[in-house]
Amino acid sequence: MFILSFTRILRFAFQSFLRNIWLSLVTVTIIVLTVFSLTTLILINVVTEQAVTAVKDRVDISLYFEAGAKEEQVTLIRNQIEKMSHVVAVNYVSADSALELFKQTHSGDELIQEALKEIETNPLGPVLTVKADDLKNYPIILKSIQDFKIDEITKEIDYDDHQLIIERIESVSAKIKQIGLILSIVFALISLLVVLNTIRMGIYVHRDEISIMKLVGASNWFIRGPFLVESVMYALLGCLVFWILFFIGLNFLAPSVHSFFADIKFNLVDYLLHNFFYIFGFELLAIIFLNLISTLIAMGKHLRV
Amino acid sequence: MIHFKNVTKVYPPNTHALRDVDFHVAPGEFVSIVGQSGTGKTTLIKVLIAEERPTKGRIIVGGWDITNIPARHVPILRRQIGVVFQDYKLLPRKTVEENVAFALQVAGEPMEKINKIVPQVLKIVGLEEKHERFPDQLSGGEQQRVSIARALSHRPKILVADEPTGNLDAINTREIIDLLMKINELGTTILLVSHNREVVNALKKRVVTIDNGQIVADQERGKYIL
Repeated sequence: MFILSFTRILRFAFQSFLRNIWLSLVTVTIIVLTVFSLTTLILINVVTEQAVTAVKDRVDISLYFEAGAKEEQVTLIRNQIEKMSHVVAVNYVSADSALELFKQTHSGDELIQEALKEIETNPLGPVLTVKADDLKNYPIILKSIQDFKIDEITKEIDYDDHQLIIERIESVSAKIKQIGLILSIVFALISLLVVLNTIRMGIYVHRDEISIMKLVGASNWFIRGPFLVESVMYALLGCLVFWILFFIGLNFLAPSVHSFFADIKFNLVDYLLHNFFYIFGFELLAIIFLNLISTLIAMGKHLRV
Repeated sequence: MIHFKNVTKVYPPNTHALRDVDFHVAPGEFVSIVGQSGTGKTTLIKVLIAEERPTKGRIIVGGWDITNIPARHVPILRRQIGVVFQDYKLLPRKTVEENVAFALQVAGEPMEKINKIVPQVLKIVGLEEKHERFPDQLSGGEQQRVSIARALSHRPKILVADEPTGNLDAINTREIIDLLMKINELGTTILLVSHNREVVNALKKRVVTIDNGQIVADQERGKYIL
């Protein structure tokens, strides 16, 4: 009985969609634009997060030791730093590894290579790089390290918090998010009104059927069902059309997109493929929710038995 | 079968459509409700099929008090009362049999049952040969017969006909009235709302006369007296 009624409700919903095909297409187009603004907002969030994380990853405290610093001394300091709270990792680069790395980095520079040969000894000392659990804890760790009084064996303690860059990324992204949010609200309101109008038009077109349905004893939900299903159909179609267009576009633009995000090591295509169902599901539910509100308003008392 | 107990219906601000209407219709009866336009006949039908709620009084249909019937029970009531209107209310894009089947489909009846009932009711109204025609390919009388077939599809205990011959010529009017008589003989209670004097007088059945929202006469073998 339920399946039979549901099948009939589906059929009436399809009929309504097809009988007002142009209106239905306009409705779907507006929903596509709403999904577009929602997706943009989601992606701005993700990209900003990735950019800030990439910059934060570059933040560390580097302790450059004198060339003659003994390994035991460095190990002792390393152990002490590791015991500090908020420290998540301490990397040790031996003097030999530092030299090897330096040579590799400047392999194309003959002058540097010649100079190293001239010196014969390793001019570099070992290096410790310290990572904290949070950006705000670096100054505390730096202060503790400075308290070790190890000036004699260290050449330099380097700390660049990239605070300015992080703040700028966050402020630009906050502004973009605001614009995106306003756009999303505007599109959501437009789609709410368009769906409301479409459903009202559907009710008008079907007024004879509806009055006969009431007359012959159709239940409230049998009369309302097709319009509710129709609004869910708009949401589903809008989301599907947007994502199909989006992936077609992304296919063409993939190389440019990839190079655009290369600096922050973010692969948008991979991210979308991994999170597609979450984003799609969230957007679909949000649009369905909006559409159902419009439909319930549109139906109002018109469809009461 | 139908019991109106002192039913009053007032439309805001102060229009009395029905005033203290009190009558009883026994099972299998054929009752004509007569009166001039605007006297409350249609309101009487509306409160009977729960399209409107009475302001005062009680309405009992088949032992069921429907005075303040909840919305979810209204469809059940309407499947027990077949209604026929002057303007037929057929769907022009559906054939005769689709129009009848539609009433059963929206009530959630299975296809086997629909396929069984539709030819039966079309046979009762004499349209089994024209089941594939569209409403605009039928005469007014035939369209009204489709409407009656649809009203019968739920096998109602009561058939309410609101001015069913209002748009028909004399011959078609006679056919529809004969059909209603036949349906009545099969056991269905008929409530015929009409202001057609000839039809009511020819029936020689019970006549309830309404004037200004009140019952002014209720005769066993009545005539149109207004």
